[in-house]
Amino acid sequence: MYCVETSQLCYSFSSAVPVLKNINMQVPAGSVYGFLGPNGAGKTTTLRLLLGLIKKQDGDIRIFNKAFKKNRIEILRRVGSMIESPSLYGHLTAVENLQLLQKIYQCPKERIQHVLNTVGLPGTGNKKASQFSLGMKQRLSIAVALLHKPDLLVLDEPTNGLDPNGIIEIRELLKILNEEQGISIIISSHLLSEIEKMVTHVGIISKGSMVFQGTLKDLINKQQQSSSLVIETNNIEQSREIISAMQLNGIIDNNRFILPVPSRETIAALNRQLVNNGIEVYEMSPLRKDLETIFMELINH
Amino acid sequence: MNSAFINCFAGEWIKKRRSFASWLVFAGGLFVPFITTIVFIVYPKQIMSLHTSKNFWGGLFEHSWQAMAFMLLPMGIVLAVSLITQLEFKNNCWKQLHTAPASFSSIYFSKLAVLIVMMLQLFILFNIGIYLSGIFPAIFHSEIPFPAYTINYKSIFIENGQFFVLCLPMIALQYLISLQFKNFMVPVGAGLALVVGGLIGLSWKYIYVFPPSYTALHFLQVKSTTIPTHNLVNWSLGYFIFFTIVGYWLYISKKEKG
Repeated sequence: MYCVETSQLCYSFSSAVPVLKNINMQVPAGSVYGFLGPNGAGKTTTLRLLLGLIKKQDGDIRIFNKAFKKNRIEILRRVGSMIESPSLYGHLTAVENLQLLQKIYQCPKERIQHVLNTVGLPGTGNKKASQFSLGMKQRLSIAVALLHKPDLLVLDEPTNGLDPNGIIEIRELLKILNEEQGISIIISSHLLSEIEKMVTHVGIISKGSMVFQGTLKDLINKQQQSSSLVIETNNIEQSREIISAMQLNGIIDNNRFILPVPSRETIAALNRQLVNNGIEVYEMSPLRKDLETIFMELINH
Repeated sequence: MNSAFINCFAGEWIKKRRSFASWLVFAGGLFVPFITTIVFIVYPKQIMSLHTSKNFWGGLFEHSWQAMAFMLLPMGIVLAVSLITQLEFKNNCWKQLHTAPASFSSIYFSKLAVLIVMMLQLFILFNIGIYLSGIFPAIFHSEIPFPAYTINYKSIFIENGQFFVLCLPMIALQYLISLQFKNFMVPVGAGLALVVGGLIGLSWKYIYVFPPSYTALHFLQVKSTTIPTHNLVNWSLGYFIFFTIVGYWLYISKKEKG
């Protein structure tokens, strides 16, 4: 079951330039969905559409299996969000920032201290939010998003501007929220490396189109499928005949054979054939593309 | 009353804590009485002339309202309303507010209600200030007698009520303008231009159609320097409803809500 589902979602700020083209986003309930794409790809626009911050033009949005437009308030009661930079009243303290939302959400007052403890801001006292560091502001914004015990968290680049320690802490916090409280999380980023350790599902958007969507495992499979086997021998011609006889296709590049990675058994058999035919094998190694390379290829095509 | 509206109102009320707008209401309510008190202490003749008049408190009330009705109150409205709406723009909080489970009407009207209640606070402070400006000079200056005169509460209450209603269209108009612009200077500039325009056009025969001039116009009517030709209270209420509805329509029609 999907907690967020969009179909054929399109958006353009001016009629000439479409920002989103037929986005079909499917976020399974209970997942941590990494929404990836370079700057300007359409991530924030998609998330703002999901939350009703901009008016939908074309397509459908369903959250918790309900149409957003007709069930806006009911849906927002179950969603916590942080879009782009933190939204905090600088002249108020952390507690006051949460208090005013506690009034609107009508959640128990005890939640205020609870979420402040959760994000590691238990004792900021009378310090105003404007005096907080960026890291503290990000944490407080996450506390705001968690205040009413949401079922879905929508976080737009929540680790922006955080130091490496801060990034790790936020990542761990989100993992705990997902695993222990079952909160579904959509987290956008332009860096795969930043979120690959915590996401279960990935959606990659580029130039307004969804270029990949699936589990992290699917993306890893794609990585393995696009790996190559490099073979270097002392006799390139004779090697080619043996490789062809085994019905393997490859190319010669810089006096080396490069072919799609066959099964482990085939690699062993190929090695045996080459050696039995008196060919010296200098190198037989896999050439793997990392996830970042796959990501870059997806967004650049 | 709708509970969502009350919840939003409670949230909005917290937001104004320690904000510049709330300080402005406090300072704006006590500014004229404070200056009046200083003037009476330094120049006792001025308050003595009130003591010799038939209606001490009525005269003091009128004296205090003069500066307030012409400039300070309309300018205060422009600044306070712009500052309250600016809280959302400045802190990047419209998106937070619009992703909260509250209807757009609750958000719009609760903010407007806070502005009206703040205006009520200003009126209360101003009236307390007027009373103290009549008492304090007698305490600090031995020549000035204590004003032990009867206060005509009914008349003061009616006058305050009329001034209050006359402020409402300016609050709604300034609220409408302030919601449209992120840049603080635009609504403030527009509001001040309206106030100055109202003062310049006071002698115009159709000035009753121009709400920013209503408090000044009413003061002139109270002073009986102009003959009331139109019921400004009715015009005010009409404009208030009109600006509130137009403002709400513009607010909900916004394509981007944060």
